[in-house]
Amino acid sequence: MTQQMQDLDLDACAREPIHIPGSIQPHGMLLAIRLSDRTIAYASANIAGTLGVDPASALGQPFAQALPALSREFEADLADPPPSGSTRTLRTIRLDTRDGISAYEAAISRSGECAVIELEAPPRDAASGLDVLYPTLRRFVEQLQGASTVDTLCHLAAQDIRRMTGFDRVLIYRFDAQWNGTVIAEDRNEVLPSYLDLRFPASDIPAQARELYRRNRQRIIPDANYVPVPIQSRSPDPLDLSDSVLRSVSPVHLEYMRNMGTLASMSISILRDGDLWGLISCHNKEPKRVSLQVRNACDFLTQIFSLQLEARENTALAENRLRLGTVQTRLLAHMAAEDHFIAGLVNHPEDLMLLAGAEGAAVLTQDHCWCLGRAPDEEQVKALFEWLSEHHQEDVFATDRLPQVYPPAKTFADRASGLVSISISKAHASYVLWFRPEVVQTVKWSGNPQKAVEEEAGSIRLHPRRSFEIWKETVREHSLPWDQSEIEAVKELRNAIVGIVLRRAEELAALSDELRRSNKELEAFSYSVSHDLRAPFRHIVGYSELLKKQEGGDLSEKGRRYVDTIIDSAYTAGTLVDNLLRFSHMGRTALRPRPVDVTALVAEIRHRLLANMPERHIEWDIGDLPPVKADPVLIRLVFENLLDNAVKYTRTRTKARIEIGSERKDGETIFFVRDNGVGFDMKYVDKLFGVFQRLHRVEEFEGTGIGLANVRRIVERHGGRAWAEGAPDRGATFFVALPNHNEGAA
Amino acid sequence: MAELKPILLVEDNPKDLELTLAALEQSQLANEVVVVRDGEEALDFLYRRGAHANRNTIDPAVVLLDLKLPKVDGLEVLEKVKADPALRQTPVVMLTSSREESDLVRSYELGVNAFVVKPVGFREFFDAIQDLGVFWAILNEPPPRPNGP
Repeated sequence: MTQQMQDLDLDACAREPIHIPGSIQPHGMLLAIRLSDRTIAYASANIAGTLGVDPASALGQPFAQALPALSREFEADLADPPPSGSTRTLRTIRLDTRDGISAYEAAISRSGECAVIELEAPPRDAASGLDVLYPTLRRFVEQLQGASTVDTLCHLAAQDIRRMTGFDRVLIYRFDAQWNGTVIAEDRNEVLPSYLDLRFPASDIPAQARELYRRNRQRIIPDANYVPVPIQSRSPDPLDLSDSVLRSVSPVHLEYMRNMGTLASMSISILRDGDLWGLISCHNKEPKRVSLQVRNACDFLTQIFSLQLEARENTALAENRLRLGTVQTRLLAHMAAEDHFIAGLVNHPEDLMLLAGAEGAAVLTQDHCWCLGRAPDEEQVKALFEWLSEHHQEDVFATDRLPQVYPPAKTFADRASGLVSISISKAHASYVLWFRPEVVQTVKWSGNPQKAVEEEAGSIRLHPRRSFEIWKETVREHSLPWDQSEIEAVKELRNAIVGIVLRRAEELAALSDELRRSNKELEAFSYSVSHDLRAPFRHIVGYSELLKKQEGGDLSEKGRRYVDTIIDSAYTAGTLVDNLLRFSHMGRTALRPRPVDVTALVAEIRHRLLANMPERHIEWDIGDLPPVKADPVLIRLVFENLLDNAVKYTRTRTKARIEIGSERKDGETIFFVRDNGVGFDMKYVDKLFGVFQRLHRVEEFEGTGIGLANVRRIVERHGGRAWAEGAPDRGATFFVALPNHNEGAA
Repeated sequence: MAELKPILLVEDNPKDLELTLAALEQSQLANEVVVVRDGEEALDFLYRRGAHANRNTIDPAVVLLDLKLPKVDGLEVLEKVKADPALRQTPVVMLTSSREESDLVRSYELGVNAFVVKPVGFREFFDAIQDLGVFWAILNEPPPRPNGP
């Protein structure tokens, strides 16, 4: 059977309206009384045989008139019927039937505008009365206190239910997330085979049946070969039997029971937080009745069991939370101690992995990827990251079968069959991922789950599978599932990180305010330096010049030299102030990039330089200089400095040679200025670009030692790099690399 | 006979004043140099009011205006001059110690004719002043040369 066909069939099964079968099982009678006028609205056909009343004639008649004794019995109950969704077991009543006085167990429920009264004759061998059941219930409750694990608890429940009911086999059946059921505890005699650890496919109990199990906790089928008793009515609407105890079940289910070799079955639902957690499922090879009273006791026991189960699971969860909370506290401390939260995580991989019970982890940002523990390799993690960013932007994503949702994971299932991820920032995609390795499991299915339903040839009737032979399936590419406490722990980690990121952002904002303020102060400072510090130097130079000019003749040779030195020093100091101002200015002013014709720029600078030194003979070799996008004022300073240096440091050469060229490489345009001048020792190369760093004595080469610092600063502000190569007395080459995106970006 | 237009020098710092005068002197301009020491006085001179209400000089060939001045600063003087249709034609050269770009930008916005950052070196200063004086006082307004050939 193809998957598609099976889906179709199961779908058909799932559509069967099992809450309105139009019939009941034959071990009881049903009457539905319209509450508004107390007339009989529905009646099971078998009241004729037992109560001696023809249903056809009773329908529409007042209850009190048609069945006066019964009507009196239920007077008070009809005045206060239970709400929809619950069934009230009333009491054992005695009825005068055609076979004499008989005992009947009565239950009442609500269906639409009717109260449904169901009467069940107790089985002949019934150990009736609470007195008989009480010791078992009491023992169960006492033993519960000592049961430390869920397993023990389940085993106890199975034992005691079987003791009270006498079924051949009692199973505790637990649903997984896909509604497959697994038998997790069993108590049985030798009549029926063991089903312990077997798994039953979700299709065995379709959705609408599960809904009925959730709503109506008990169901009994005393004999799978029963003949249904029709419900008669004058109304075209079928009676909703959702809360009924006698509801007739689907013929498919009866066939299923017969195929399984069990003619009687009973089930009690185990609910957790109102949801179906599992079932206590009882089977008997031969037909078997269980009194309503015993069934109620079983339900009572099951409810106690459910509460205990909840308590046990909550305790386990709380213990896990506590344990993970400690890990989380440590991680928070790590993150707080580091500059960036990511360092706090990647430097403590053990704690990070422990938090989710993972064996591998990865931390990803737009630019970086850290793989920790048993994780897929970096390329695989990055591809997974792409997939996650596209499909799973939710805060937390968890799966224990990654290769199913993300097929490329098949190649690294041994490391990452399970994945839980947290998305930290949507704007700057970053994730933390945890991995769990593949756990190959053998699942013992009760029959091939792919053949859960068979279609009879030429018929639209469905048949459940005939074989319940163990059918082993090897489940691959699955990890152990992530439990709730682990999911919560990573979710909390995410909240903590988001908190940290937010706080960082606030700190950064405060810092940038602070920076803006100090930048303003710096500007005010340099403005005042510019005005007030420059002036005295200018005055010294000016007055000394005047002195020299007007009184120079009266001064001695020495005196004139002193005046020259004063002029020289003051001039240097003034120039220094100018250069410093320019340097600080450069760091602060906004770049205004536009296209710059470097060829023209270099030609102009060269022309200006040479005009001042007609005596120099320089051989120029100017290559192709492509235009760049840069701040024209600043980029001019760069080339002025480089050419100025090249001319200055070739001064001692009789044949000076300066080469200017460029190269495009790796998204950059690299300009170079090469000279055959005095060069420098590469061990001082780091000092070259520092402020006030000079490699020559002032007498040899004038200068303030700020030119190359300016060059580097400008180039770096353009997102580029500046460096140099050279050797003493062998010339120097200065390189300036500017990123090409600056060029055509406008 | 046309009277030679004076040069109006607005400078508060006595040292800068002396040095500027020395530079102007060396450039051997025939123009009279009128010195005022703050922005307010500069405006009084230009508008013939206050101490200068009865001046008999004609309007200046050029105003050499320091940027930082007491009372009314250089930029304000510049703004007033350039906003006044009667004075707008008078060339104004801003002299300043400052390399601050904001001053420069503001001056150009206000319509300054030239902007000179006073160089540290006296010779450059001298050259600048001489160029300015010659350009604005002589070349723009060739003076008659009563004693010349």
